[in-house]
Amino acid sequence: MNGHTHHTDDRRELQMARSMCCHCQSEMAGEYFCDRCVKVQPVSKDLDYFSCFGLPRRLAIDTQVLEAKFYELSRAFHPDFYQNKSDAEQSISLGNSAMLNTAYRTLRDPIQRAEYLLDLEAGAVKDIRTSPPADLFEEILELQETLDEFRESDRSSQHAATLRAKLHTDRTNLEERQRDMEARLQQLFGRWDALQDRGEATEQARAERTLILKDMRDILSNRTYVKNIVNDLVATIA
Amino acid sequence: MAYSEKVVDHFNNPRNMGSFKKEEDGVGTGIVGAPECGDVMKLQIKVQNDTIVDAKFKTFGCGSAIASSSLATEWLKGKTVEEAGKIKNTDIVQELNLPPVKIHCSVLAEDAIKAALADYQKKADPK
Repeated sequence: MNGHTHHTDDRRELQMARSMCCHCQSEMAGEYFCDRCVKVQPVSKDLDYFSCFGLPRRLAIDTQVLEAKFYELSRAFHPDFYQNKSDAEQSISLGNSAMLNTAYRTLRDPIQRAEYLLDLEAGAVKDIRTSPPADLFEEILELQETLDEFRESDRSSQHAATLRAKLHTDRTNLEERQRDMEARLQQLFGRWDALQDRGEATEQARAERTLILKDMRDILSNRTYVKNIVNDLVATIA
Repeated sequence: MAYSEKVVDHFNNPRNMGSFKKEEDGVGTGIVGAPECGDVMKLQIKVQNDTIVDAKFKTFGCGSAIASSSLATEWLKGKTVEEAGKIKNTDIVQELNLPPVKIHCSVLAEDAIKAALADYQKKADPK
């Protein structure tokens, strides 16, 4: 045992690609600059976005902490500050900045954050694949056909007016469903975080964990389909 | 990133767009979706004497998804049911020159073929 508890992956300093400085080869203390030659180090590719910002792997995160840490690291890695440095340092600064931007964009948005967490956890929990929502697909195809019919119709005709009214109702219903899904996601996020906080390793906790992940996966994909068709509806009948 | 010429061609001149009546004899229907992007694809085959005589698709999604399904219907025509089951998404990737971020579109087309074949077989041999 290395003496670490299950809290280790919650709070970790930024992990570097290697424990040795990639410029002067001296031992690194785990910071992103070498104390000896003061040069920037590449961020480890295995680093997950939560650890990158020193955040626990939770779905409710402190966005102020996220933003503050993002600004701090952005300043540390920004390519503008490396213009007079070596090619190696410039390329590290560019790589770290790109990774940092992606990490920030992903975690800033609650839905993308959840998608990302699912990707991270999917390795641990196999078979999160969900069955395709056949009813929803049928409904979407039918709606798309009505949309096509409307697009091709003479907008001043009575027929177009009828179609528009129908599409408008569909839009209201779908938006309602999207909100409903988002509310259910919020609940699942809360349950996930609570489960992580308890940190139990029982059979029951594992089963609940799998169930929550699967439910999240289901709702997230259904939400994507619904959101797409809502966007199409809004763009067409607006 | 630009689409390859072949993708653009299929996108601008989609082959076999449309649909058959689901209940029609010998028709197999596959409806699949990609949760990553929300694309939905419907692919249908019409089978006579174990050979696919016609195929149609309707895809609501990006250019690569449309091109993948358009190409799939072209390839399906004239194939036997067994041959059709051997079409792989990697064949589509190669033919259309799909970039890595669009590989899931070809997977979607393969899934749609499989779903259509399964539906045809279920209808032909109900147990």
